[in-house]
Amino acid sequence: MTEEAATKKWRTSNNKTQYSIPGFIRNMQERMAERRALKLSDRVFRIGTYILLFDLAFVFLFPFFYMIVTSLKTNADLYNFTVNWVPRTVKIQNYVIAFRALDYIKYLKNSLILTLLGTAGHILACSFIGYGFARYDFPGKTLLFSIVILSLIVPVQTIIIPQYMIFCNLKWLNTYLPMIVPTFFGYGLKGGLFIFIFRQFYLGLPKALEDAAKIDGCGFFRTYWNIVLPVAQSALLVTLVLSLVWHWNDFYEPSIYISKMMKTPLPSRLNELVNLVNTPPSEEIFDSLIELEAMEEEMAINNAVLMAGTFLVVIPVMTAFAFLQSKFMQGIERTGLVE
Amino acid sequence: MKKFRIGAEKRNILEGYIFVLPFILGTLIFFAFPLYMSIKLSFGKLQRIEGFIIRWIGFGNYLKAFITDTKFIPMFVGVFRHTLIKAPLTIIFALIIAILINKNVKFRGFFRTVFFIPFLLGMGEVMKQLLGQGVDRQVVSISGGRLLPRELLMYLGPKVVEAIDSFFGIIIVVLWGSGVQILLFLSGLQSIPASLYESSKVDGATEWEMFWKITFPMISPILLLNIVYTLIASFTDITNPILEYIQNLAFKGMEFEYAATIGWIYFVFIIILVMLVFILLRNYVYTTDAKEAKRNDRRSSY
Repeated sequence: MTEEAATKKWRTSNNKTQYSIPGFIRNMQERMAERRALKLSDRVFRIGTYILLFDLAFVFLFPFFYMIVTSLKTNADLYNFTVNWVPRTVKIQNYVIAFRALDYIKYLKNSLILTLLGTAGHILACSFIGYGFARYDFPGKTLLFSIVILSLIVPVQTIIIPQYMIFCNLKWLNTYLPMIVPTFFGYGLKGGLFIFIFRQFYLGLPKALEDAAKIDGCGFFRTYWNIVLPVAQSALLVTLVLSLVWHWNDFYEPSIYISKMMKTPLPSRLNELVNLVNTPPSEEIFDSLIELEAMEEEMAINNAVLMAGTFLVVIPVMTAFAFLQSKFMQGIERTGLVE
Repeated sequence: MKKFRIGAEKRNILEGYIFVLPFILGTLIFFAFPLYMSIKLSFGKLQRIEGFIIRWIGFGNYLKAFITDTKFIPMFVGVFRHTLIKAPLTIIFALIIAILINKNVKFRGFFRTVFFIPFLLGMGEVMKQLLGQGVDRQVVSISGGRLLPRELLMYLGPKVVEAIDSFFGIIIVVLWGSGVQILLFLSGLQSIPASLYESSKVDGATEWEMFWKITFPMISPILLLNIVYTLIASFTDITNPILEYIQNLAFKGMEFEYAATIGWIYFVFIIILVMLVFILLRNYVYTTDAKEAKRNDRRSSY
């Protein structure tokens, strides 16, 4: 025991001498020389790059900032052109009004059901199907894979009429099934893309682990579920984020299949809010809002409320993305989409 | 012994089919059947919705699209021109931004995330509301008189100012729509082995030469992928007027047959275009030793 400790100590001390002071200084000198060698033009170029990047960042963040700032403005600020980025008085009430006008909780629930189930379908089905494409050879594989690509190219509108009829005959209208069930078969919103992503990822994965599992008598499903899926984290994350965002923002399919107001997802509610902005509020809605606005002699619902509503709609996606962001970015770089 | 091996092979094939079985079922129900029905619909007249009873009438609907319908062709040309302007801009901007971020800059993670934010806002209702408020024109707006002095604006005249503003509006919307492309390019740039740049630097190559001789060929596969993605995204975008037209025909005008016809014409056009791009550009894509070099590089760096 003591002997081991002694050797350890010796080793560490030996290691230290490897990074001896002269080497360190030499390193520093090299660096200094390098820095001196940086020409003026290079420096200008570097500063220019940062200016460009920050300008671009401003452009990309603009809609986001605009939404927040506008949503906090009072009516007076809204029509005052000198008020640009900093509202003179912050009016959080806009959010309360938007929250009520959207009937937020109820429609949030609709959207959550639709998005979460749809995304779950994509993750389960596409990781499964992609595995078949990556690791097995069977007659008709090329044909099937070209169908995967084809399914991406066909615009939804080309096939939506027969699809509508199918779902009509199945009595699935006004439910979320037309949006959710296809995802479990590798279809739905850009399902083909996710199959493609998973296939590419599995192709870049070393096969040794699966072979070892197979030799030990692991069945094909268990190999996929217990061995491959846990390693496929980055592809799973990319699919999760993309599918989540696309499902959340999708309004086309719900607008076709769902006609009952009660069941529309949250983003579609924004149209209602716009109608409220453009037309004077009707009696019953006005009654519910009037006590909030009794103090002020301005219209209850204006553009600021609209932006507050829009921001409320985006908040869930933003929060999800904030949590998944760093792993998602790593995942994109590691899925091997490029190969 | 031999029999057992054949059995194992067959089992392998069977397992493969089990994995893709959901996709086969999905294709039959949600893809092949609707596709077939819509082509049948485009050549016929719908008699009854229950049971899809369709009477064959021939090319009548197609003739209508190309000859009688005065709205379709101009709309079609408009969409095509729109894509022809926006797609190259998207690709170029995305590539430039990706290269800028990929350089050894500080706050790299910050920029990477920021450039993805418009994607979260989506191209759906939220973006519609924002564009409805003219956000795209406010980002870089010279008519407000902040960027340029009013005298200059007066000199240019309202028409020129308006044109410049809408030009910037287009650029801004293009930028917002390039989040996915930037990410794809970034992943492509990341996979280029650093050793290539180092050795070329030793040989005295300039940045410009390095871009055209190393970066560009190495990301050409992802460039092709990006071009195809951008084209498809632009053609199948919900805000596309043709797609809106199809929807109005079908669900407001109840002209199911004609809507299916337009859908098919449009679809065939997209397929031909994408195939054309793919075939034309595939010859320029650099694929050979690149993968091998990359793998070696990755192995040594991890």
